[in-house]
Amino acid sequence: MKIAVNGVEQVVEFEPDTPLLWVIRDELKLKGTKFGCGKGLCGACTVHLNGHAIRSCITPVSAVENQNITTIEGLGSDDTPHPLQASWVEFNVPQCGYCQSGQLMSASALLAQNANPTDADIDSAMSGNACRCGTYPRIKAAIHHTADNLKNS
Amino acid sequence: MNHQSTDINVSRRQFLKVSVTATGSFSLASFLPGCATFGGKALSEGGDWAANAWLEITSESNIIFTLDRVEMGQGTTTGLTTLLAEELGVEPETVTVIYAPVANDYRNPEYGLQMTGGSNSLSTSWGQIRLAGATAREMLVAAAAEVYEVPVEQCQANDGYVALADHSKKLSYGELAVLAASQSVPSNPRLKPAAEFRFIGKQNKRLDIAGKVNGRTVYGIDTDVEGMVYAVISRSPVIGGKVKQFDASKALASKGIVAVFEVYNGIAVLAEQYWQARKAQQTLEIEWDEGPLAELSSDDMFQSFKQAALADQGKIVRDEGDFDDAVEGAARVFEAEYHTPFLAHATLEPMNCVVEVRDNHAQVWAPTQAPDLARIAVARVTDLSPSDVDVTVTAIGGGFGRRLTQDFIEEAAAVATQAKRPVKLMWSREEDTQHDWYRPATYHKLKATFNDTGGVTGWDHQIVAPNLLDWYIRDAAPAQYPWAPKFMYGMLGSIGLAMQGVAVPKDETAIEGAVSVPYDIANLQVRHTHADIGVPVSFWRSVGHSQNAFYVESFIDELAHETMTDPFLFRQSLLQNQPRQRRVLELAAEQSGWSKSLPKGRFRGISVHKSFKSYAAQVVELSVDNGEINMHRVVCAIDCGIVVNPDIVKAQMESGIIFALTAALYGEISLKNGRVEQSNFDDYKLLRMNETPEIDVYIVDSNESPTGVGEPGVPPLAPAVANAIFAATGKRLRSLPLRLT
Ligand code: FES
Ligand code: FES
Repeated sequence: MKIAVNGVEQVVEFEPDTPLLWVIRDELKLKGTKFGCGKGLCGACTVHLNGHAIRSCITPVSAVENQNITTIEGLGSDDTPHPLQASWVEFNVPQCGYCQSGQLMSASALLAQNANPTDADIDSAMSGNACRCGTYPRIKAAIHHTADNLKNS
Repeated sequence: MNHQSTDINVSRRQFLKVSVTATGSFSLASFLPGCATFGGKALSEGGDWAANAWLEITSESNIIFTLDRVEMGQGTTTGLTTLLAEELGVEPETVTVIYAPVANDYRNPEYGLQMTGGSNSLSTSWGQIRLAGATAREMLVAAAAEVYEVPVEQCQANDGYVALADHSKKLSYGELAVLAASQSVPSNPRLKPAAEFRFIGKQNKRLDIAGKVNGRTVYGIDTDVEGMVYAVISRSPVIGGKVKQFDASKALASKGIVAVFEVYNGIAVLAEQYWQARKAQQTLEIEWDEGPLAELSSDDMFQSFKQAALADQGKIVRDEGDFDDAVEGAARVFEAEYHTPFLAHATLEPMNCVVEVRDNHAQVWAPTQAPDLARIAVARVTDLSPSDVDVTVTAIGGGFGRRLTQDFIEEAAAVATQAKRPVKLMWSREEDTQHDWYRPATYHKLKATFNDTGGVTGWDHQIVAPNLLDWYIRDAAPAQYPWAPKFMYGMLGSIGLAMQGVAVPKDETAIEGAVSVPYDIANLQVRHTHADIGVPVSFWRSVGHSQNAFYVESFIDELAHETMTDPFLFRQSLLQNQPRQRRVLELAAEQSGWSKSLPKGRFRGISVHKSFKSYAAQVVELSVDNGEINMHRVVCAIDCGIVVNPDIVKAQMESGIIFALTAALYGEISLKNGRVEQSNFDDYKLLRMNETPEIDVYIVDSNESPTGVGEPGVPPLAPAVANAIFAATGKRLRSLPLRLT
C-alpha cells in the first residue's frame, strides 16, 4: 500500500492492522516518532495526518493509505527549523527529550489551527501529551512565545 | 599508541596522565587511585590510556570530552562540560561530548562503579574536572610561552587560542597540542576563582538539546542492527512465578514468527516485525507455577508490616538522649501510623535492549544507568565473562533509578544467545508497569512526647521497610569485586561479602532522610525493622528520601498543630542549629507570602528536607472542591551550593516537583493475588499540563561546593501537599497517594 510521509510517497508491505507507528519507525526508519504506551494515552507517537495531530500507535496503517503524514523529521529542517523548535531550544524545554517529538507535533498542529492560543487552549491541546520529566511549564511558555513572535512578524 | 607520556600525582587523590596520540592530539586522562583499585590491582595496568582519555585536543583544535556519566535529562552533560570549558577558557558549546564506553577508568568514585545515580555527578566531579581543565590550560600556555620565548605570565589562554599579552601573536590549541603534551604536568594548577568565572553560574544553555527537538537523538529503542529480529517476552503475571508448561503452536503458525522458546523468566516470541511478535504473543497458552506470592495482596502486606513492627523493635539507627525517659516524664504522648505504596518508575521510554552475541563476545546497546552492572547481568545468563561484554550506552528516555537495575538487559542477552542472532527486546507499557523493580511500600510509626508547656521532648520513629541493597547487590557485588569467579556471583550478597572479609556497603536506603531528622529534640530515636515481602524493589528518584520526607515532614506538621503553633514558626524554632535548612525554609516562606493571607478557599502547606547534600523547602498553595485537590502554586527554595547552570537547577526543581506531584496525587502500584493491578497510563496516571501548578524556584546564593539537583526537589513536595490539605480540610492524610474521597 502507499502512504505519503513528509511529502515522499512510500510503498510499504505491512499487515493492514499494524499501527502506523511501527511502519514509520521500523520500515521507514524515521525514529523520531516514539513509542510510550501503545494505547493513545501518552502522545509520544504523535504525527500529523493531513495537518491534524493523531496518535500513530493506535492508527492502523490501512487507515492512512494514500494520505499525508508528517513526522518530526518533516516539521522543519536544519536551516529553517519550525518556529516552535527554535523556541524549544531558547526555553531549554527538553530534559530526557523522549516525549518532545510528540509534544512538538501536538503544539504545531495547535498553532496551525489557532495562532493565538490561551492557556486553556494550550492545556486542552497538550494534555494528551505526557512528559515524565515534567517539562510542561516550559512547553507552555515556549508555545506562547512562538505565538507572540509569529504575531509580531 | 602513545609515544610519550608523563603522569604525576597532582593531588593526594587524583592522578593525571598526559600524552600525545598517534594522530597528534593532546590527550589527558584522570583517575582516582583510591577508588579505582580492586583486589589490590590498579585497573590501569596495561590499559590503553588514550582510549580512555577524558579530554582530547586534536590538531584541528577539536576539544573532545569523554563523559563518564549518562544523560537522562538531568543536565549532567551541560553541567560537567561547563566545568571543563570554564578552566580551559572555551565556550561550552564548542566542546564535543562523547559518552564513555564501559571501562573501569570511568567508574563513579563514590560508588566504585560506572553508574549515574544519587545526584552526585557535580559533587564528585567538581574538583576533578576543573583540575583536568586547568592542567591542560597551563600546559597549553607553557607550550605557547616556549614558542614565543617569553615567560608564561605573558601568555593568555582564551577561546581556543593562546595569545601574547599584547595580542601580537596567537596560536590555536590545536597547533599547540603536541608541544603542550611534552610540557611537564603542573603539580598545582591554578583553578579560576569565582570572580573570574565566565560560564559557571552563568551558563544557561543546555548542550544536548538540538537532537531532542528534531527527533535525531538516538535512544535505546531506536537502535537497529543488521539481521536483527524483534523479541517480546511473556512473564509470569504473578511476581516471581515460573513457566510450568506452554503451547506455542498457534504463535508459531502466526505470520513473521522466527522462533518461540522458553527463557529463565518466561516465553520469548521472536518475529521479523514488532507487531507480528505482539500478535503472536497473545495466542500463547502458558500455564504458570505461580510461586509463593500467589496469594499476596497490598492489604495483607501492610498487615504483615504492622505485625513486624510489633514483633521486632528494629535496629536502632539513631539514638540521642533517652526516649523511654521522655515518655516517662511526658505530659502527653502523641502517635501516628503512616504508610506508602509501591511505585513504578514509568520512564517514558519503556525498557528495551539490543544484544548481539557472537564468537565469545556480546555487544549490548541499551539505555542503562550502570553499564558495569549490565556486563554482570549478561555474564550471568551466558557463557561469557563480564570482560567479554561491550556496552554502548544510548540516549536514555528517563531514568529515575529504573535503569540501575539491569533485568531487561539480562533478558535480552538470554534471548539473543538462544536465538543466535541479534535481538531487540521491547517491553510494552503494560509490561513496564507490571514488571518493574518498585519503590518499596513501607509502613511507619511515629511517636512524640510533649512537656507540660507544649515543648517537644521526644521523637521515636520506627521504619518498617526492606533494604534495597539486598536486591541490588546481586549485580553490584560482582561488579565491585571483579576478581570473584562467576560461580560466586550468587553468594556475593551481603553475607557472601562479609564471609570474604570484604566490607559490606552500608545500606541507608530505608532510613535516609528519617535518620537525619534535623529538628532539635533532646530525646530522639530512629529504628529500622527489616521487612521484605519478596517483591523486587529498587532506587526511585530520591530513594528513601522520597517517602521518609513524607513521614517526617507530615508528623512534624502534626506536632505543630498539636501545640497550636504556626507550622513554619514551629519548624524554624527547632532548626536553630541547622542554618542551611533554616535558610531555605525561611526563603520559601518569604517568597510564598507565608505570613500574608490567601484568597478565600486557598490554603498553604510547608516542608523542608535535605537530601543528596542539598537543601530544599517548598510551600504549596491549593484548594479543595468536593474532595478534589486543585494545585495552584509551588514555591521552592533550593540550596545546592555553587550553581553551575542556574537554568538547569530551575528545570530540575520543576521536574522533581511534577514527578513528586504525580506520586503524591496518583501514584500507587497495588497487588492482588500476587499480580500488579495497574498496567498503563490510564490506571497509573502521570500528571498532565492542565494539572500542573505554577512553580517558582528560588536559588540560595552559596559558596559551598556544588551538590545534587536531580533528586532533592522531590522529597518535600508530598508532605507540603498533605500539610496544605490538612490546613484546608482538617483531615490528616497519613498514606499516599493523597485521596480525600
Ligand atoms: S505511544 Fe501512542 S499515545 Fe502513547
Ligand atoms: S522530556 Fe523526558 S519525558 Fe518529556
